[in-house]
Amino acid sequence: MLMFKLAWRNLFRNVRRTILTCLLISSSLVVLILVDGLVLGMVDVMVGGITKTLEGEAQVNHRDFRTNLEPEYFIEDPVGVINIIETDNEVAGYAPRVIIGGMVASSYNTTGGLIYGVDAERELEVSRIKDALIEGEYLSGGERELLMGKPMVDLLEIELGDRVVLTAAAVDTNEIAQELFRLTGVLEFGPEEIDKTYIFINLKKAQSLLGMQGHVHQIALQFNDPEISRKPDLPLFQTLTDDEVEALGWLDLQPSIGAMIEMSSFSTMIVGLVLFLLTSLGVINSMFMSIYERIYEFGVSKAIGTTPFQITQLVLIEALLLALLSCTFGLLMAYLIGDYFSENGIPMGKMEVSGIVVDGNMYTRLATYQFIHFPIYVTLLTLTAALYPALYASKIVPTQALQRAL
Amino acid sequence: MTNVIETKNLLRKFGSDETEIIALNKVSVEIEKGEFTAIIGPSGSGKTTLLHLIGGLDEPDDGSVFLSGANIAEMSGNELSDFRRDHIGFIFQAYNLIPVLSAQENIEYIMLLQGVPAAERKSRVGDMLNLVGLEGLGDRRPAHLSGGQQQRVAVARAMASQPDIILADEPTANLDSKTGIALLDVMRELNEKQNMTFVFSTHDQKIMDRATRLIHLEDGAIEKDERK
Ligand SMILES: Nc1ncnc2c1ncn2[C@@H]1O[C@H](COP(=O)(O)OP(=O)(O)OP(=O)(O)O)[C@@H](O)[C@H]1O
Ligand SMILES: [Mg+2]
Repeated sequence: MLMFKLAWRNLFRNVRRTILTCLLISSSLVVLILVDGLVLGMVDVMVGGITKTLEGEAQVNHRDFRTNLEPEYFIEDPVGVINIIETDNEVAGYAPRVIIGGMVASSYNTTGGLIYGVDAERELEVSRIKDALIEGEYLSGGERELLMGKPMVDLLEIELGDRVVLTAAAVDTNEIAQELFRLTGVLEFGPEEIDKTYIFINLKKAQSLLGMQGHVHQIALQFNDPEISRKPDLPLFQTLTDDEVEALGWLDLQPSIGAMIEMSSFSTMIVGLVLFLLTSLGVINSMFMSIYERIYEFGVSKAIGTTPFQITQLVLIEALLLALLSCTFGLLMAYLIGDYFSENGIPMGKMEVSGIVVDGNMYTRLATYQFIHFPIYVTLLTLTAALYPALYASKIVPTQALQRAL
Repeated sequence: MTNVIETKNLLRKFGSDETEIIALNKVSVEIEKGEFTAIIGPSGSGKTTLLHLIGGLDEPDDGSVFLSGANIAEMSGNELSDFRRDHIGFIFQAYNLIPVLSAQENIEYIMLLQGVPAAERKSRVGDMLNLVGLEGLGDRRPAHLSGGQQQRVAVARAMASQPDIILADEPTANLDSKTGIALLDVMRELNEKQNMTFVFSTHDQKIMDRATRLIHLEDGAIEKDERK
C-alpha cells in the first residue's frame, strides 16, 4: 500500500512528463486498436464481398463439382441435405442451385456464360442478386425470366424484354438443350467477372432444361453468426459430408482469402511490434529521467532501510500505474474514434481488393479482444520496459548518491 | 556501560594505487549507550566516511564494526538494509525527507517498512511531532516546511523507528546558526529524556559545545577523544 501511495504521488511530481508518456503509451494502444479494427473491417468487406454476394458462407457440393464444374456431379438427394440443414438453428438461410456453363445469344451477338438456376425466394436470404438489380424486375418463378449483368447486356446489345437463347448440354441425355428467355432484369454486382458471365434463371426451369429434375449442384448457406462458418470442424459440416457430397465453410472454399487474412493479421503484428519498440524506448527514457532526478532521494531511502527489492517494486508500480492510466485513456479514445469510423467510415475512394470493389469508405470493426488483449500487451510492455530502470534504481549506492549535488 | 558501537582498526581507502587516499586509518572507537558524541575535524578528515561505516552504508577495507554486538561488515546487502532499518537512525545534511509524503507520513515511513501496527504508528507519530516541536504541522509536505522544520521531521523519523543509535552527518550545515542550535537542543533533549545515543559530525563551534564527547579526526585518524 505504501509503495502504491508513493508511486501514485511520484507520477504527479512531473505532470507534464507523465502526461507526455501517457500520451505516447495510449496513442500506441489507440493506433494498434484502430489498425486492427481497420484490418478487420477490410477483411469483413473482402469476406462479405464473397460470402454475401453469391457464394454463401458455406456450400454443400458434390465432391468433384467444385474442381471442374462438370454438370454430371450433382447432389443426388438434395431433399435429404435440406432436411438436415432445416433442423439446424444456426443456419439463417439456404439456397439450392443448378450451375452450368452455356452459351447465350441475342439477335446481334453470342457469348459464353455461367448459368445459375436459382430459387428466387431462397436466394433473398443467401445472396444479393435482388440487391444487384439496377433495371427491371427480380425473378418471380416465371418460365422465361432471365437476369444478367450490365456488361453482358451491353455486349448482347439487348434491352429489357428482348429475347435471348440459352444453349447448354443436357445432363441426362448429353444432348444440346436450347430455350428461349426474355431479359427480365439487369444486374450490377460490382466485380467485373461476375457481371460479365453470370446468368440467372429460375431453378425449376433450369432443372427441366438440363434434364435434372429434383437434383441440384450446390446448396449455399448463410449462418446467423458469420464466425460459425470459420469453424472447419463444424458438426453440421460433418453431418452433411459423406462419400458423395461435402459441406465446406468459405475458408476452405476460398483458401486464398484465408491466406490474405493471415497476411493482414501478420501486418497488424508488424505494426504492433514497431509501435511497441518505439513506445518502450519512450517509456525507458522517461522512467530513467524520473529516476535520475531522484538519485539522492533513492540514496536516502536505501540508507534508512528500504531494500533494493522495495525500490524495484516502487519503480515497477509507477510503471504499472502509468500503463493503467494510459490504457484507460487509450481505450476510451480508441472506442470513440473506432466507433466513429465504424459508423461513418474513413473515406478511401474507390478501390479494388482482390477482385472485390470497395466503394468509398473503409469501416473499422471493433472487437472485444482488442479491448482486453491489447491493453494487457501494452501494460506488460510498459512493465518490461520499466524493468531496466527499476533495477538501475535498486542498485543505487547510498554513499555515492548522498555525495551528489547538495 | 554497554557499548552501542565498537569499531576496530577501521581502514577505508579510496582511489587506485597512485591516487590512493586513506580516508580512515585504523580507527578504533567505542561509543556507549546514551552518549551525545560529536565527530569534529577539518574538511576531508574522514567524518562522513566514519559515520557511513558505522551506519553500515559503506564497507571498510579492513577492520570491523560492531553495532549492538552484531558485526556489520559480515552482513549481506539485504541483511544490512534490514539491520539499518531496525537499528540505525540517519539524519543527513539536507533533503532527508521523501518530498511526496507529508511530515507525518515521512515519520511513519520506516515504521511501515518495519511492520509496526497502525495504532502504534499513529501514537508514535503524534508523540514524535510533539517531541520535536512540530505539533499541528504533520500534514505538511516537506516543501511547505522550513529547513529547520524539515530537519526536525528527520529527527522524529529516526527516533520513531526506535533505533539503537542515531547518526547525523552535519545535520545543521544547511541551517542558520540559531535554527541549528535549536535543532541540536531538540536532539540533546531526546538524548537526555529518552536515553537515545547520538553521533553527529559538525564544523560549528557552538554545536560541538553541546556534545558530551568530542572525537577529533585529523587525516583519517583520531587525534583527540575528550569526554566532558
Ligand atoms: N567516494 C569517494 N571517492 C574518492 N574519495 C573519497 C570518496 N569519499 C570520500 N573520499 C575522500 O576521503 C576523504 C575523507 O572524506 P570525508 O567525506 O569522510 O571527509 P569529511 O570529514 O566528511 O569532510 P567534509 O567536512 O568536507 O564533509 C577525503 O579526502 C575525500 O576526498
Ligand atoms: Mg562530510
